Amino acid sequence: MRKKQLVAALMAGAMVCGTLAACGGGSTPAESQGGGADQTTAAQADQTTAAQSGDSAKEASGEKQVLSVTTWDNDSSPQFQAVIDAYEEKNPNVEIKIIDTSADEYNNSLGISLSAAQPDPDVIWVKDMGSMLQMADKEQLMPIDDFIAKDNFDMSIYKGAAEQLMYNGKAYALPYRNDWYVLYYNKDLFDAAGVEYPSNDMTWEEYYELAAKMTSGEGSSKVYGSHNHTWQALVTNWAVQDGKHTVVEKDYGFMKSWYEEAVALQDGGYIQDYSTLKTANIHYSSVFKNQQCAMMPMGTWFIATMMQSQAEGETDFNWGVATIPHPADTEAGYTVGALTPIAISAFTDQADLAWDFIKFASSEEAAEILADQGVFTGIPSDAAINTIASAELFPEGDSNVEALKYVHYSFDRPLDPQIEEIRTVLNEVHEMIMIHSYSVDEGLAELTERVAEIKGWN
Amino acid sequence: MSGEKTSFLTSKQRRKIRNNLTGYAFIIPNLVGYTVFVFIPVIFSFVLSVMSWDGSQRPMEFVGLANFADIFGDKIFRGTLVHTVSYALMTVLPTLVLALLLAVLLNNKIKGVAIFRTAFYFPYIASIVAVGAVWNMLFQPDFGPVNEILKFLGLKNPPRWVVDKDWAMVAVSIVSVWKYMGYYMIVYLAALQGISSSLYEAASIDGANGWQKLLYITVPMLTPTTFFVLIMLTIQCFKVFDLVYVMTGGGPGNATKTLVNYIYEKAFTSWEFGPASAGAIVLFAIVLVITLIQFSGEKKWSKDL
Repeated sequence: MRKKQLVAALMAGAMVCGTLAACGGGSTPAESQGGGADQTTAAQADQTTAAQSGDSAKEASGEKQVLSVTTWDNDSSPQFQAVIDAYEEKNPNVEIKIIDTSADEYNNSLGISLSAAQPDPDVIWVKDMGSMLQMADKEQLMPIDDFIAKDNFDMSIYKGAAEQLMYNGKAYALPYRNDWYVLYYNKDLFDAAGVEYPSNDMTWEEYYELAAKMTSGEGSSKVYGSHNHTWQALVTNWAVQDGKHTVVEKDYGFMKSWYEEAVALQDGGYIQDYSTLKTANIHYSSVFKNQQCAMMPMGTWFIATMMQSQAEGETDFNWGVATIPHPADTEAGYTVGALTPIAISAFTDQADLAWDFIKFASSEEAAEILADQGVFTGIPSDAAINTIASAELFPEGDSNVEALKYVHYSFDRPLDPQIEEIRTVLNEVHEMIMIHSYSVDEGLAELTERVAEIKGWN
Repeated sequence: MSGEKTSFLTSKQRRKIRNNLTGYAFIIPNLVGYTVFVFIPVIFSFVLSVMSWDGSQRPMEFVGLANFADIFGDKIFRGTLVHTVSYALMTVLPTLVLALLLAVLLNNKIKGVAIFRTAFYFPYIASIVAVGAVWNMLFQPDFGPVNEILKFLGLKNPPRWVVDKDWAMVAVSIVSVWKYMGYYMIVYLAALQGISSSLYEAASIDGANGWQKLLYITVPMLTPTTFFVLIMLTIQCFKVFDLVYVMTGGGPGNATKTLVNYIYEKAFTSWEFGPASAGAIVLFAIVLVITLIQFSGEKKWSKDL
């Protein structure tokens, strides 16, 4: 009897330990990775000094330093891994630990982990400018002005992009990637139809006509003239392309004609129905890769995706790149884009090492490595464009290289601390218009009203 | 037990203490988990509901009831209350009735009853993400099977389901009924086993038909279970999140945004933990009221039986 009770008590005790260990496992890999509990505590007390002493202590002992970085969808694009590998090769005493999350959940999961103020992650690849502003507002990013001053770091290589990442007079990040919209097209489909390829100087009206012309077939073998993914950006971007408006405005009337055209394209059957894309959760890359559309406006990041897909033998058709169409009253080469910043967590215990890493990741050296992969960096240069253009799987022909140049660049969203909240509204209204629950006018009226509410304008 | 003697405790007292300790040892694993993952967060969200906090290291700021004023002044929040209630109305009764009918049918000794029971229970254990994705395709408005069947039956303009603001919640409710009726069927099956067969025998002798037996014996005898199922379903409906998140993401527009979706968005998109927690307290209050009804009801039923 007594023995049994003892055994039971022991087992219950073991279960407690199990539970605790399980909880611990979920929330504290950061600490064990950080290297020693004493350092963790110290780091929380005073991040910078602790970090520096921590670094030097490790360097002295020859121990391997671990730097943790956050990435999204690391498997599907070479954009992070190429730089990480290069850095590890250059710094054999540094080991980089990747914390990867799916793109959809990235901002949520990062936000929660930063709320815990743990020393990991050290380096943060910021998915969009809106979340950078949110993190900066919450003091979760380390301002890098001191590092810039100390190293006498030359920001002019970014040709103004770094200044775009300043917020409230502080620099929070370096521009890692720069992406803008271009028009992809399927050369084989154009050849088969005997239609000339899209030119680098095309108005949106000409593009609509071309989309209609390139639509053919019925049912499951139907080829659409173009493809709009479900993002609101694929309508609103063109409304802000001329640089006269942003997506945070007191009156959204300027978007009317753009929404009318998008709805008309859909109703004419020249692009796939929004409802279908939404309900079947169709990714834009599969539509282009399966040759279901002749053209597709998309960001330059898709070049790397296509090159990887060709390299892996997933696709083998001929494709091309053209400049994104432009509004009738602007010249060719006006585009819309966004930066991907790379920043340091305010809670890092490896501030110096983290700075060294982000400096490398946004250096000219890294830019070359990335250009090989078809990735554009924050350093705009003809050399980078030429590297990308000379990559084996980049489409041949001068017009494709020309397409990578732009004369004017607008940000897809302005630097507004409430932009994430406003985007929710933009997305909701976009959906309602595209599924015909709202007329364009109703949608834009609601947009005007709700954004004004968020901004406190009324 | 051992014959050792101590001067402080009698052997009876010692046995009692030892038994208690054993008992505590058994509940500790669960208690620790519950405290860490449920109790402390719940208390924390009560605190947060009167604070202004963005999830950062900055100190929270006491704002009193401003968060509640904030959310009740928000048209979207009031909308989520309406959506949640309409979801509950469309889900609770159909689930309950179908679960009962299934249970009664599958309580018979028919061939392959185990297979049927498994088949109806299966949706309950299926992953909600997979369920949502598959049903979304079934509900595809232009060539999805559901609308193809409706068109075949002569319906000219079948609803556009999840991409129609008036039908999206209906679509979510249908999936919910399909998914959860199997679980409540099991609850009813268990209760059915508890009804004495002598009641049915007596009724048969009196010449009652199957329908009368169901209506005058089965249903009344199942009242406590029905009450339990009703309460559990209602609470579950007010807490709905995952199915909506997977199927519609709260859309189109915000036509299917429920209370919990709102709380989630406030907390993890806008990082406004104050209003989010205030929303959670409102949900807590609703569930508490339902639970209190259940408690008082339970007393009544247990007295009756």
